[in-house]
Amino acid sequence: MSTETSKKAAGRYGMTIDIDRCNGCGSCMVACAVENNVPPAESGATDRTGITWIRVFQIDNGGRGAEKRSAFIPMLCQHCGDAPCVSVCPQQAIDVNPVTGIVEQMPERCLGCRYCMVACPYHARYFNWWDPAWPAGMEKTLNPDVAPRMRGVVEKCNFCHGRWHAAKQAGTSDSLSAYVPACAEACPTRAIRFGNLDAPAADVALGSQDPDSFRLLESIDTDPKIYYRSKKKWVREAANAPRPGKETPRG
Amino acid sequence: MKPSRRSLFQFAGGAVAGALFTPAPWRLITDTALWSENWPGIPRPRRGEIRAKFTHCALCTAGCAVRARCVGEQPVSLAGVSGGLCPFGLAAHHLPYHPARLKQGSASEAAAEVARHGTQGIALLDLNPGRTASWAYRRTMQAINGTYLAEPEPFAVDLRGVKTLLSFGVPVLDGWGNPANVFAARGSFHLIQVEPIESSTGVLADEWIPVAPGHESVISQAILRSLQQGNPSGLARQLVDNGPSAVLGDLPEIPEINRLLGAYGKIVVARPEAPVPESWKKSAASVTRLADLPDNSVRVLLIDEASAVDYIPWHRIARKLVRENPLVVTFTATRGGYARYANHAIPAAVYPEILDDIAPPNDRIAASFRLSVPLVTPPAGMANLAEFAGALAGVQASNSLRERVGEIHRLGQGTLLTYADGKETPLRDLPGDDFWRALNAGGEWVGEPSRTDPPSLQPAPVPSAESTGDLPLVAIAQPHNPPGSPIMTKLYQESNLRLAPNRIALSPADARAAGVRNGGRAVLQTRLGKCGVEVTVDPAVPEGSVRVGASPGIQDVCGPAARAKVVSA
Amino acid sequence: MASQIDRCFITRGLQRCSTSRFLLWIAPWTAMLIFGLYCAGLCLLKGLNQTNMDNRYAFGLWIFLDLTVIALGAGAFFTGFLLYILKFKELKAVINSAVVIGLVCYSGAMGVLMVDVGQPLRAWFTFWYPNVHSMLTEVTFCISCYLTVLAIEYLPIVLKNRKLREVPGFLVFEFELHKLIFVLAGVGTFLSFFHQGSLGGLYGVLRGRPFAFREGIFVWPSTFFLFILSAAAVGPSFIILTTSLVEAITKKRLVKQRAFDLLARISGLLLSVYVLAKALDTLIWINRTSPGRGFLASQYYDWKPFGTWILFTEIVLCGLVPALILLAPRLRAHRVWMVSAAALACSGVALNRFVQTVQTLALPTLSFDKFLSYTPSWQETGTFLAVTAYGVLVYSFSFRYFQIFPEERELKAAQVIEPEVEEPVSAGRY
Repeated sequence: MSTETSKKAAGRYGMTIDIDRCNGCGSCMVACAVENNVPPAESGATDRTGITWIRVFQIDNGGRGAEKRSAFIPMLCQHCGDAPCVSVCPQQAIDVNPVTGIVEQMPERCLGCRYCMVACPYHARYFNWWDPAWPAGMEKTLNPDVAPRMRGVVEKCNFCHGRWHAAKQAGTSDSLSAYVPACAEACPTRAIRFGNLDAPAADVALGSQDPDSFRLLESIDTDPKIYYRSKKKWVREAANAPRPGKETPRG
Repeated sequence: MKPSRRSLFQFAGGAVAGALFTPAPWRLITDTALWSENWPGIPRPRRGEIRAKFTHCALCTAGCAVRARCVGEQPVSLAGVSGGLCPFGLAAHHLPYHPARLKQGSASEAAAEVARHGTQGIALLDLNPGRTASWAYRRTMQAINGTYLAEPEPFAVDLRGVKTLLSFGVPVLDGWGNPANVFAARGSFHLIQVEPIESSTGVLADEWIPVAPGHESVISQAILRSLQQGNPSGLARQLVDNGPSAVLGDLPEIPEINRLLGAYGKIVVARPEAPVPESWKKSAASVTRLADLPDNSVRVLLIDEASAVDYIPWHRIARKLVRENPLVVTFTATRGGYARYANHAIPAAVYPEILDDIAPPNDRIAASFRLSVPLVTPPAGMANLAEFAGALAGVQASNSLRERVGEIHRLGQGTLLTYADGKETPLRDLPGDDFWRALNAGGEWVGEPSRTDPPSLQPAPVPSAESTGDLPLVAIAQPHNPPGSPIMTKLYQESNLRLAPNRIALSPADARAAGVRNGGRAVLQTRLGKCGVEVTVDPAVPEGSVRVGASPGIQDVCGPAARAKVVSA
Repeated sequence: MASQIDRCFITRGLQRCSTSRFLLWIAPWTAMLIFGLYCAGLCLLKGLNQTNMDNRYAFGLWIFLDLTVIALGAGAFFTGFLLYILKFKELKAVINSAVVIGLVCYSGAMGVLMVDVGQPLRAWFTFWYPNVHSMLTEVTFCISCYLTVLAIEYLPIVLKNRKLREVPGFLVFEFELHKLIFVLAGVGTFLSFFHQGSLGGLYGVLRGRPFAFREGIFVWPSTFFLFILSAAAVGPSFIILTTSLVEAITKKRLVKQRAFDLLARISGLLLSVYVLAKALDTLIWINRTSPGRGFLASQYYDWKPFGTWILFTEIVLCGLVPALILLAPRLRAHRVWMVSAAALACSGVALNRFVQTVQTLALPTLSFDKFLSYTPSWQETGTFLAVTAYGVLVYSFSFRYFQIFPEERELKAAQVIEPEVEEPVSAGRY
């Protein structure tokens, strides 16, 4: 099967997300929306039509009463090394950045056909079902490094690419090593860590090799760059299970 | 010569072919693309010089240090200086533009009416006690023989010193303390969380003990008895064996349990305050709790709701008002709180528009003084209760912060932390003006740790168990949350991560019995009244309970463990 | 007076109902069209929040509709291929009808696609920045080209109208065009082969959706070939269905039995091949492809209401059964059996497209996903109704004013017809 998308990028930015540290506070979700000029929901929006580039889901171990324990899993674009979405866009609005390995979405090019949303198994892509609207005056708080999108286009996490650009423009090696997406910066428990998976000493590189680490849907060979970690066996089994569970989880 | 049809076609064909060699069609193509990328009505972010400003978040007493990324003078994003911020703090720069913000209301009209009523039986309810403004209120009330009302929490907990922490539903890991502090200390204590539904704190706790809502005191009474008998078993044994231990929660047994565990003076101490000028202490009214005030005794009530860190259900306040013609004036930033009941609702400025200090936090045992520094200009017409009340009493309140800082500097103790350069400077080495400037630039003064025993408080009266009647569900209340930006729809509406303030959550069986569906509207009924709500159906909610959001409307009718009924709207 | 003018446009020798009755017929369809255009307008003006599609159901009723009508409209290319390339002369009786149906199906699909995309003004981006790896690029190109081909094939039908052919230029143009008809048929077949296949390829290449993903040959998953086969098989069936419907509504015999017979045989044969191929593909998928991706095929059918009955219905009830009926000479000779089999076959293809579109999206991929349901909103349904109404109206006009069925006159002479109310013939013209 054709897999032209597995271009080798010079750098591979990725994340390790420690599920055992995530308390489901939602700081990552809010920080992401603030950084990326994602508007508040329209009144008719639901959790299926909202835009949450990163979204925290809650799973549980299926127990009852005192046996029931939960865990939180932040879900975002996995920036797959072999992304199913890149090859399906009819007008090349999706590209893998050769320098950073980030899967980039160009809302300006996007036709809004939503084929990439069908292709993504991680549900990481969001469509602008409405035109964005901010309450009067709140548009003053928009981040100048990120263009607001119009309705009818798809958007998704891009590892706060605007920050990477700003860091590159600043030109110092410090600025680039300080580049971190808004969610990782905001996480109060440091559950989300970001870095270059190819730099051997980086937190994320070490984390990705931890025996308690796993990636979601490894069996379909998308080569995601988000490594989840949990010491709890039930979490690893539940999150990794290819078989969808029968219980209806929250999130 | 008449042009033939052929020549016409030839001309047309040639014109089209020729046009392809001009920029016109290509320009038209690019313009269409550009046009479809830039619809009118999509705002374009303003550009400008990027600056960092430092302040402290005033949404709750955690008072996290904040670095604001500003475009010109306008903050566009906030980040924690020494760790993460909570989701409310991260989007607080949106609060000035919240659509539910109160903008109309005349302070002069309210002042005139207060003057007509006279100041006999006047009281001031401070919903964010412990600030410098709170001292101004106390001095004002003293001067006019009024009552200063507040619900103080005079404890602070040393998380670094505790080894076992038993929490009765306190959101230790999500909203109770300063996240940076709490998670820095997390590794050093074993957390046992007792609550009816697994909260965010419960998920990360080392042990989670589910308990039927309203029955937490069964466990706390058992622990107390066990400790008093000198032969601790079960949880009590764990607390004794793996000390130092402490218990958090607002059950009446807890202060005695903490005393017996030896936590007082070591882990649970009197919440320390930054130095206060002696003249203030001498001229300040004492702090009165609402429950200790006689019913029907307040003729004029002034409420500072603007930076409230909690919400008191209206019926508890209303019973203290005189029956005949009471006057209630609230200073608030939202139409949703006491503005619904007050005679006058005066618009007040919000964080991050005003200069204010932050009340002492509950997870630090060293005194601290932090300012929340204005990052944006408040809109015109905002009023200030300290000045309003001060005017009634002839008390000059506008320079309070400077006076207080002066007092701290005079005593010369402690250290100044500045975040822009990451330095710690002993206060002794700083001139007064520099100290004031540094605090206004987001610095923080930290004093010596306190090891004083907390004052022994008469426990707050526990609401009596309600008869079941036809109210089949027990309410599980959410902890109070700070005001949220409109972007909080990410957590409430565009995901199911948190329960929106105006929502309730029911188990599927109870939802079916009530005839309500997920996302539908319903009415929450209790013995105190009704409230329109939206419904979430959630299998994690135990049957026979209803998880209720923390909106003022719901809190007015539904307290913790209240009995309720849900009917479809 | 208006009816006199109307009469002038009706082909000589053919009998059509009175003008007022025709207006009565098109009135409800016109109303439906107007309502549907209003719904489409709402979606274009207010945005796609007017639909019930969401981030998990990115494709909904419209995509399902598009795939189905394109499969059903395959009769156009396939009949053309059979007639002009393989020289099955009997099909001359239905080729015009097939072309009209094809045109209606493809133009309706394109219309709905323009409403379905979030930014219709950027439709040309696919042509400007095409992604050669994407099946959807292929679909866009081929469908656009094929729509042009269909429009060109429709032109002669229009130009042969009684009044229009009085313009000599049109007659000449139509004559010249007819010389190229086999070129058009060839191009149409080639384009259709690829876009019918690519529509299947759309789902077969989805590595992220193990329910839809299939192995195949080179870049083409098995669904590529299965879609072509099923479209070719069902095209003739749809022609049988529509022609029978028109005959029933107009109470005329329009096509000789031998044309029906040929269509039924071809449809039955291809349907059998398709059922075989599909069964084989399903077995490979259940035993190799899906487990190889880490998903047991049985778990897809644990989610109600999509049990294994869907698979059975699609392959056996709406695949094997109509194939056998259409292949049995004694059965297909009876109108009722033939039409029922054709209807079953068309339903089978619709079900297959539904499974590919809707069931794929309903099924969870992540372990903490839920199985989700989707119901189209009234705006979506209205737009779908607009396409149906548009189709009926175009076909009705074509049937009334153009000679869609060349055998009609012959068949009319051969049977007793119902007496018709005589309209006054306008003076000077016959």
